[in-house]
Amino acid sequence: MSSKPIATSRSATGIPTGRLAVWWVLASEVVIFGGLLASYVMHRLGHPEWHAAAAVTNTWIGAFNTFVLLSSSFTAVLAHQAAEHGDGKGAARYLSYTILGAITFICVKAFEWTTEISHGYTISSNGFWQFYYTAAGLHALHVIAGAVIMAFVARDAARGRELHRVELIGIYWHFVDVVWIFLFPLLYIAK
Amino acid sequence: MAETHHPNYKKIYLTLLVLLVISIAGPFVGIGWVTLITAFGIALVKADMVVQNFMHLKWEKPIIRYLLGASVLLMILFYGAIATDVQKHEGKNWSNDAAKAAVARGIPGAHHEGGAPEEAAPEPAPEPVATPAAAPAEAPTFDAAGAFATSCAPCHGAAGAGDGAAAAALNPKPANFTDPAFWSSRGDAEIFKAIREGGAAVGRSSTMPPWGSMLDSTRTAAMVGYLHTLKK
Repeated sequence: MSSKPIATSRSATGIPTGRLAVWWVLASEVVIFGGLLASYVMHRLGHPEWHAAAAVTNTWIGAFNTFVLLSSSFTAVLAHQAAEHGDGKGAARYLSYTILGAITFICVKAFEWTTEISHGYTISSNGFWQFYYTAAGLHALHVIAGAVIMAFVARDAARGRELHRVELIGIYWHFVDVVWIFLFPLLYIAK
Repeated sequence: MAETHHPNYKKIYLTLLVLLVISIAGPFVGIGWVTLITAFGIALVKADMVVQNFMHLKWEKPIIRYLLGASVLLMILFYGAIATDVQKHEGKNWSNDAAKAAVARGIPGAHHEGGAPEEAAPEPAPEPVATPAAAPAEAPTFDAAGAFATSCAPCHGAAGAGDGAAAAALNPKPANFTDPAFWSSRGDAEIFKAIREGGAAVGRSSTMPPWGSMLDSTRTAAMVGYLHTLKK
């Protein structure tokens, strides 16, 4: 399966280098999102008046997007399974479902933000909305980046090439899902 | 790669969906600590399921767990080091007046500035007619004395004498509106600007925050008018 020995085998840790690299990326992402969310939590606890702003966010939209991301993670891991069985076409098909999930997520987000901004809730309204747009915006950028990379991986996988990358983009994608799993209660449920 | 395990993904996915439904249903129970558990407890469980099974951390070499654990520890360290300063707004020798003022003035919930044009939009009424109609309707509802009591009094004092609760910690001291020297040293235009854009905008203390996002020019003018009534 390995066409790129460096990416798939050579590693002092015994972990394929590509996968080890993805884990390092995620370790730094934990600090980025962790710092942002920890800042949000401490400010939220220091500002009881923010609940009036948090009450405006639409729980159902947030819940629907959670469902979309969980489903896209499910298809991403099925793509990984298919790739390990050497089924590049199947992996590409499952990845395309995940990309569809990413597009759905972004469209819902666009609709949601358009509604909120047109109602006057902008990034400069107050601290809550600053965190809301910054955290969800940074997350949305990760969704977009993941979907773009996944399109390249899926194109190769469909031709039976670089199948090990299916797992790598999957690991990244699950992380994006995990971030949203925390953003959902922080921004939508805690009123 | 040969050693990779594949658990029953469908079962895990369905469990995740059930947990999602519970986390949405949680707030409907209406008990604070129940919501806390269904929201954040379940988020932790869901995240753990995704990380262990979908990201295969369960079968990954331990070094990855140490790597991610170190990142999480950094985050906790960051929180622990800073949280008390952010969550508390005053201590023995310090006071975060900007945060106190933000809590005091609150956030308008249902009502908001952007709402008016949004509600007016469906009717294709000519703009010039709608705007003047809206402005006088709003003006009488603005309570300058009330706004002063909630937003200005914490620093400037209930009677505007610059002796509010937070004044002791401030240097320079908040302006004293009862003092004739205050009024002889500046005009209404400067006061107007200081209220809207903050003290720094008129070359004075930046501790005076800008209120322009809450007070349009009509309301700011009303505030200036109210300040005149405090003069002795």
